Amino acid sequence: MNSTHESSAFFEHFDRHAHGKGLKGASTHYCAGCGHGLAHKFLSDAITTLGVQDRTVAVSPVGCSVFLYYYFDVGNTQAAHGRAPAVALGHKMANPDSIVVSYQGDGDLASIGLAEIMHAAQLGVPITVIFVNNAIYGMTGGQMAPTTLPGQWSTTCPTGRGVMEGAPLKVAELIAGLDGPIYVERVALYDQRRRKAAHKAIEKALRLQVEGRGFAFVEVLSECPTHLKMTPEDAEHWVRDTMTKTYPLGVLKEVERDPWFEGPRPKFDVSQMVDMIEAIPTDKAPPRFGGGFPTHLDPEDVALKLAGAGGDGAQTAAMLIARAAIREGHDATHIPSYGPESRGGTSYADLHIAKNEVLSPGAASPHVLVAFNAPSLKKFGPTVRAGGVIVYDSSVITDVPPLRDDVRAYGVPLASIARDLGVPLVKNVVALGAVNAAAKLLPDEALLTTLRQALKDKCALLASNEAAFAAGRDAVLNA
Amino acid sequence: MTTVKDRPKPVLLPELCKGCGRCIEACPKHCITLGEEINQTSGLVPVVIDYDVCNGCGLCISACPEPYGLTTDGYELEDPAKLFGAAAHHGRSPAAVEGRTLPLPKCEPLVLKGNYAAAVGALLAGCRHVFGYPITPSTEGAELMAKFLPKLDGVFMQAVSEVATVNHMYGCGGAGLPCMTFTSSPGLSLMLEGISYMIGAEVPAVFVNVMRGGPGLGNIGPSQADIKLLCRGLGHGNTHAIVLAPSTPQEMLDLTMEAFRLAFKYRNPVFVAPDGYLGQMTGRVQLPEEMIVPGVPSWAVFGDEVHRGNLINSIYLAETDLHAHNEKLQEKYALITANEQRATTYRAEDAKVLVVAASTPARMAKSAIEHLRQEGHKVGLFSPVTLWPFPIDALRAQLDHVEDIVVVEASAGQLEDELRLALSHAGLAGVRIHNLRRMGGLLPQEPEIRERIHAIIAEAA
Repeated sequence: MNSTHESSAFFEHFDRHAHGKGLKGASTHYCAGCGHGLAHKFLSDAITTLGVQDRTVAVSPVGCSVFLYYYFDVGNTQAAHGRAPAVALGHKMANPDSIVVSYQGDGDLASIGLAEIMHAAQLGVPITVIFVNNAIYGMTGGQMAPTTLPGQWSTTCPTGRGVMEGAPLKVAELIAGLDGPIYVERVALYDQRRRKAAHKAIEKALRLQVEGRGFAFVEVLSECPTHLKMTPEDAEHWVRDTMTKTYPLGVLKEVERDPWFEGPRPKFDVSQMVDMIEAIPTDKAPPRFGGGFPTHLDPEDVALKLAGAGGDGAQTAAMLIARAAIREGHDATHIPSYGPESRGGTSYADLHIAKNEVLSPGAASPHVLVAFNAPSLKKFGPTVRAGGVIVYDSSVITDVPPLRDDVRAYGVPLASIARDLGVPLVKNVVALGAVNAAAKLLPDEALLTTLRQALKDKCALLASNEAAFAAGRDAVLNA
Repeated sequence: MTTVKDRPKPVLLPELCKGCGRCIEACPKHCITLGEEINQTSGLVPVVIDYDVCNGCGLCISACPEPYGLTTDGYELEDPAKLFGAAAHHGRSPAAVEGRTLPLPKCEPLVLKGNYAAAVGALLAGCRHVFGYPITPSTEGAELMAKFLPKLDGVFMQAVSEVATVNHMYGCGGAGLPCMTFTSSPGLSLMLEGISYMIGAEVPAVFVNVMRGGPGLGNIGPSQADIKLLCRGLGHGNTHAIVLAPSTPQEMLDLTMEAFRLAFKYRNPVFVAPDGYLGQMTGRVQLPEEMIVPGVPSWAVFGDEVHRGNLINSIYLAETDLHAHNEKLQEKYALITANEQRATTYRAEDAKVLVVAASTPARMAKSAIEHLRQEGHKVGLFSPVTLWPFPIDALRAQLDHVEDIVVVEASAGQLEDELRLALSHAGLAGVRIHNLRRMGGLLPQEPEIRERIHAIIAEAA
């Protein structure tokens, strides 16, 4: 390994380091003996060796390596504490050809960012994570890290990490235990042999991404002489003799995986979009059936309420009326209101059909009520306006509460009609036919066309639904 | 064959040597020693190399943590200009990849739930990257995206949390592509850290925050109780973002599309802030005339040659630098405040009582106003479309005939606070301010709006 500035991914001049003034334009901000600089050099070498400098995005963390972007002449993003893997995935999804490196320390990755790294690793999308573990918080000044060793002194465990501070987190083992990653190795920097292995591991982790094979993770045991309060040499020895006891070096996971990652390459096609959102070009739209606005109910805006238990189909019926009304050129709104459970609780739909614009979409005092059960009729029956229409299921509501005289009420055995048709689920379509016959909302054909459209992928159900609609209509007309 | 003598000797730049001594242990010839003299430029004590013994093996170079501490060729020591001089950038200047528009055929109106309409708006705005964590009452947006985006070879990624969501967006938006999320109030609270970073780093993205009842877990009923957060509390620091308040499914589509345009115009997140009722409401939605194919802006960290030198970043270590950055952001907010205030009015032209309401409460108010007008009362509606910046200029134009304002909202006065702040900053006074508030998942209903206005009229008379 011979890192020279001619073949490195470093800026020739560190303009971002204190505006590049003085010595800072050519030296790092790291303390003497810190391992970050070596990890940086190995990463730089890997980037140039693989020829991916233009495509590389380095995500820097919070911690001492927050200023990674001072040095690397690549695309740079600085992330919030612990979130670098999530940010890295955002980059990788935006440009699957980019080579994304999440470079993080132990406070960042192993503590606040544990959720992000675990899920990024398990996802397995090819990104490269370099995790620098020096067993302490560097930038904030020597506080305990999740990786601090038992008995190790820090400013926040001043008598040494004890039982009340918990045990150190072995991150590489944790990551290697997941299904997502294809390569996990722990390396160190304390002597020439380990540096060579570290250099190799970082290059390999990057290569696996370049080849689109998968997620790779390299934990680098690193020296922090400043906060270990040691000489650089002693710090190297401490990593060698003490730290590796808790964090043994070596490959923790390696699986062969063929290149698989293609990444998203979005399409922008008008006809695909129009088809997908089921928009109907106006020149291909079926004609309207006419019939005008149901002014006999209200000159401008008709409010309806369809109420029952969850599963009665009130929402579907309301939606069909809204669709048909809009198809006919009116404005319409539908707003569901469910009970605490989405099935089996109370369910009612507020619906409006307006000549021009629905103003208030709520239906506190509707013109039309469809009640599928007794509580609904009892609760909402008295709210129906003078001149309004009520359709209720007479097969389940036997005890009709007193209703105002100026409201027309139709008891239609919705459930038993549906049952007789052999399809109990079409109760709401029986109601649709009945309420349209009773309130003369829209031309029948408008509703039937909408119904057919809704069932276009379920043709087998069409006949029973049409029969249900007709039966509901006839029940009212023959009443 | 390279002989020992031919190998280049390591070049030590004493100014850049911090004297850590890693090279000492690495040297098999033991020709490097800790120095004793303080370097006058760095104030540190560099190592000393005995070049007579050195055989140029290079192991010291690979042991040196400084990129330019020990090198094979080094810098020309005689030329300080090269060492401390002007930037030696790779010389490329970042370029934008231009976006374009594609005309859409004229279509029949769609019938869409508000959340779906916002999703369709995002797709038409060119968004192909959606990140999210499911939360009621916003989930339909994510579900539709999960269904549609694979067909468009885009990405819907269900994140591990709202915290991860906003950081996926930070990466994707930082790469210069339009991205979005659907969330609801507790989710927004969790995203605030990332939103502050996005604002600081000037990353565009769109958040559709379908507001529900709080505080805490609250409930899933409709609410407007995030107005304070959205207008005044987008994380730490001096933050602001445009907040759009749709009032119909149509506006859910239109304003979501517009949110993307504004997000990229100003390099800032933009929020679409319907109440939960609107997210669940189905209505008529007309498609726009065109859809967008996004480009890649020049500033983006896209991960390609033309964007290589770019940086997405919110850290400015020097206080003066951060001050200057804040001033730049403040100028942007001032520009937004001058250019982007939006409001709609309904029968406000001669109103003596003006309802101020946004989203569903505004629709409820319209209906009440219609009734009150029929009774002969001069009542109108002023509906802010931008909650921030508050559309004070348009409101000012109404104040010559308005005597009473009644703020109708589904929060404990958060919209009213925005109104009062805007009036105060504009030096406007003299109008009486009343309110009708509902909280906890309830919306002000039309009959109670009428009742409240009747009381105000009676009081004034």
